[in-house]
Amino acid sequence: MDKYSSRDDLIAALTEDVTPVQIVRPGQGAAMIVFATVAALIACLFIFGFWQGMINGEASPYFWISNGLLALVGAASTSALVSSVLPRVGAHGSAPQWSLAMLAILPLAAIIAFLSYEAGHDHGIGMSDPGLMYGECALYGLTASLVVAGAAVAFVRRGAPVSLDRSGWLIGLASGSSGALTYNITCPIDSLMHVGIWHVLPVFVAAVFWRYAAPPLIRW
Amino acid sequence: MVADEPTFARLMQAAQNGDKAATNVLLSEAGLWLERYFRRRVPPHAIDDLVQDVIISFYTKRATWDPSRPFLPWLAAIARYRWVDHLRKVYKHESQELMDDDAAQDSEEDVVMARVSLDRLFGQLPERQAEVIEMVKISGLSIKEAADKTGQSESLVKVNIHRGLKTLATMVEKAE
Repeated sequence: MDKYSSRDDLIAALTEDVTPVQIVRPGQGAAMIVFATVAALIACLFIFGFWQGMINGEASPYFWISNGLLALVGAASTSALVSSVLPRVGAHGSAPQWSLAMLAILPLAAIIAFLSYEAGHDHGIGMSDPGLMYGECALYGLTASLVVAGAAVAFVRRGAPVSLDRSGWLIGLASGSSGALTYNITCPIDSLMHVGIWHVLPVFVAAVFWRYAAPPLIRW
Repeated sequence: MVADEPTFARLMQAAQNGDKAATNVLLSEAGLWLERYFRRRVPPHAIDDLVQDVIISFYTKRATWDPSRPFLPWLAAIARYRWVDHLRKVYKHESQELMDDDAAQDSEEDVVMARVSLDRLFGQLPERQAEVIEMVKISGLSIKEAADKTGQSESLVKVNIHRGLKTLATMVEKAE
């Protein structure tokens, strides 16, 4: 908008066409993100099929732990993200960071397990895990995360985030974890190596990507 | 006298409902509040532009105020966002000039603006960064002259100025 010679002129121009506005509510953003997650889930089920192992006892504890942690990161970061669109001053909550730290235990555990095979001279056991070969799972999770990220960016643009970097991180965490979750529950490979690396990687990739990609999209 | 929190909140609710007169009063009162907010933060000649920027943002984003929350922290958050944005533009402009190495040709206005904005935060910078910013961006010395005076190489002077300005912007952004 052009600069006005006086503040009164600016105010007169702005108030010329005042209309009622619909208040932006964090709940609307949460609903949009949940809706996008469900849409991504339906697409994944349609493309990859429903994995029966999830209900007939075949799924390993790693399957449940990893997906539970992803759901936790998704919920914490979504909650923080939708709150961040209303301008406010003061400290931010740290739930997303702590939930991410919990999720990071999985890749750490996978790496430690791999190294311990090597230290125990069981060379090749770590690499022989077939789950390590299926890196495309990370790609599928990332692709699903784009659907969620689209909804998240659309909602944030309606609001007024005052910390663009933080909102970028949160968009990445929320979309990466929710997107990965929607694909992961269709994946029958549930060894520690596989879920600890490929099922969790999309969260970290999406977080870094959106930290840099989101600010130009949500700047106001 | 500037309106108080309950008055602002009442006017804002009316503005969200499309009341033209209330919106007019609200924006005028917000302008006065913002003037006071920026008085100790930016050079006097930059205040009005910044207040106008915030008023536009305020009006455009009026749907993001939740009537169940206090109004002034909401307004302060928008003002602070625009202020940081303003500082970033100033610093970006300064850094671009550094890359062109034509610091001595700064306009009077930019130098004054840099001085007022930077002086408040200089104390928190490492001495080597503060002294070269002072010499090049405020006193108008060339990179070479600053390098000779401080004993730093020319590239180090550029790096220290660049890092110093970046640190200043980050410090301002993180300050709640």
